[in-house]
Amino acid sequence: MSLSVHALSVRVHRAQLLHDITLEVAPGECLGLIGPNGSGKSTLMRSLAGLLRPRAGEVRLQGQPLARLSARTRAQRIALVEQQADTTDRLRVREAVELGRTPYLSPLRGWSPQDDARVDRALAAVEMTALADRLWHTLSGGEQQRVHIARALAQDPEVLLLDEPTNHLDIRHQLALLALVRELRITRVIALHDLNQALGCDRLALLDGGRLRAIGRPEEVLTEAALRRHFGVGAIRTTDPSGQPALHFTHAL
Amino acid sequence: MRPAARAAPWLLGPLILAVAILAGTAIGETRLPPATVWQTLANHLWGASHAVDRIDAGIIWSYRLPRALVAAACGAGLALTGVVLQALLRNPLADPYLMGLSAGASTGAVLVSIAGVGAGAVSLSAGALAGALAAFGAVVALAHAVQGGTGGGRGTRAAAAIILAGIAGSQMFNALTAFIIARSANAEQARGILFWLMGNLSGIRWDDVAPAILATLAGTGICLWHRRSLDAFTFGPDSAASLGIEVRKVRGLLITVTALMIGVLVSKVGAIGFVGLVVPHAMRFLVGTRHQRLVPASALAGAVFLVAADVIARIIVPGQVLPIGVITALVGAPAFAVILIRGARR
Repeated sequence: MSLSVHALSVRVHRAQLLHDITLEVAPGECLGLIGPNGSGKSTLMRSLAGLLRPRAGEVRLQGQPLARLSARTRAQRIALVEQQADTTDRLRVREAVELGRTPYLSPLRGWSPQDDARVDRALAAVEMTALADRLWHTLSGGEQQRVHIARALAQDPEVLLLDEPTNHLDIRHQLALLALVRELRITRVIALHDLNQALGCDRLALLDGGRLRAIGRPEEVLTEAALRRHFGVGAIRTTDPSGQPALHFTHAL
Repeated sequence: MRPAARAAPWLLGPLILAVAILAGTAIGETRLPPATVWQTLANHLWGASHAVDRIDAGIIWSYRLPRALVAAACGAGLALTGVVLQALLRNPLADPYLMGLSAGASTGAVLVSIAGVGAGAVSLSAGALAGALAAFGAVVALAHAVQGGTGGGRGTRAAAAIILAGIAGSQMFNALTAFIIARSANAEQARGILFWLMGNLSGIRWDDVAPAILATLAGTGICLWHRRSLDAFTFGPDSAASLGIEVRKVRGLLITVTALMIGVLVSKVGAIGFVGLVVPHAMRFLVGTRHQRLVPASALAGAVFLVAADVIARIIVPGQVLPIGVITALVGAPAFAVILIRGARR
C-alpha cells in the first residue's frame, strides 16, 4: 500500500521540527530515513504513524488522508516499532505479541482462533516461537526488539514503520534484525543511524534540520558531498571485497 | 492453564468475599455467633421468622452489615483505581491519592466540619466529595498547563506531568487542611477530624450503601469494557496509540470515571491509603498483567482486604476502634517497600 507525504510541517511547542516535506513510498518498497541527530527522523516517523497532528500538510495512505481514518482503522493498516519501548510489567513474549491484535478486537468481539493463528505466524516470522513463554524482562535487547516486530506483524499491517530498531543492539543482532526486515514483503519505512546499513534499503530519504535534503537510490543520496554537508564527516565511497558499495569514514569536520 | 484451574478462582473470589462480609458482621466488640448473623439476615432478606435478640439484630442489620458492604465497595474501588492509574500512567507507584483526591476530600471535610462552610446545610460527605473533585480538577488543569496544553506533547511526558501535578496538588490541599485545623479547630474537633482523615467507617448506615456500591459497580463495568485499551498501554502511550487506542480520550475517560468513583467513596469513609497501591501489584503476581483478569481480581481482593482490615481495626485494641487507615498502612507500607525493592532489582 502506498504512503505519501504532502507538504508536511510539524510543530511541537513552538519548535518547528519538520518543514514542508513531500515524499512518496511505493507499495512493497523499503525506504530508509537517514539524517544526523535532531534532523526530524523520529518526528517524521511519528507523523507517518498518525501519532502527531501536522501543523500543515498531510500524510496519505493509498491517497486517503490519514487524519480521516479512525485510530482503529489506521492501526489495522500501519504498525510502528518504536526505539526501545520497554515495560516493567511481568508479561510473557506471547502476551506482548497478542497486543498486536488490539485493533481487531472490541469489548464485545473477543479473542478467536484466527487471532491465535496470526500471533503464531508473527512469532514464527521473527523466530521467537521457542521463546513464547519467556518473561519480557529476561530477554536480551535484540530479542525484545524482535518481539516488538512480531507485535507489529500481528497487526497485519500494510505499512511497517521502524524507528531506529537496531539502536543499542550488538552487531550480530543488528544484522539479523535488518535481514529480517529486508525479507518482509510489505511497505517499510525504517529510520537508521548506521549509513552502511542504510545502503541496503531500496531508496533513502535524507533529512537535515527538519527538511528533506535528498531522496533517491542509496548511491545517489549518500554522496561524499552530502556526507560532508549534512553529517559533517569526511568519507570515501569504496567497494567492499564482495563487490557491495561501502562507506569509509575518515574524519569529523 | 488447565480449565479447572482457570474457572476456580472466579467462584472462589466471590465466595471469599461473602465469607469476609459475614465475618465482618459477626466479629466486633460484642462477638455474635454466626448462627445469629445468619438468622438475622434470613429474617430481613426473605422474611424468615427466627427468634433473634432485638439488640443483636439491630447491631447486625443496622450497623455491621452496611459497614461491611461499604468497606467491600471501597476496597474494590480503591484497588480498581490503582489498577487504572498504574496502567495508564505507566508508574508502579501511582495510586488513587496521587490525583489529589484524598487531600481535596480532607480539605472539603474540614471546611464543612470545622470552618463551618455551608452553615450546617451541607453534610460532611458532600463537602468531601466537592473537595475531592475540586482538587482533581486543579491537578488536571495543572497537568495540562505543564504539558503545554497542546496535543503534540509525547504521551510519556503527559503521564509524568499528571504525576508531578498530583504531588503538587496533594501538598497544597494537605497544607490547606492543616491550616484550617490549626486556625479554627479545638482539641476535640482536631481529634475527630484526624480520625476521619485516617479512614472511618463507624458512621456508615444503609443510606450510604447504595451510592458506594453503585459507584463501584459502574467503575468496574467501565474498566472491564476498556480492558483491552488498558492492556494496550503496556509499552507506553505511543505504543497504545499505534495499536489504535485513542489515548487522550480513553485516558481522560478512565481517569475521570475512577476519580468520580473515589470521590464518592472517600466522601463516605475518609482517606484510606495503600489499598490502591498494594492490591493491584499483589494481584499481578497472582493472575498476570492482563486486565480482563486483573480488573475483577483486584476489585475482589481489594474488597476482601478492606473488610478484613475493618474487622482487625475493631478488635485489635479492646474497647477501642482504630482508624482503618492505620491498619491498611501498617500492612501496606511494608508491602510497598517490598515492591520498591523488587522494582529496583530489575
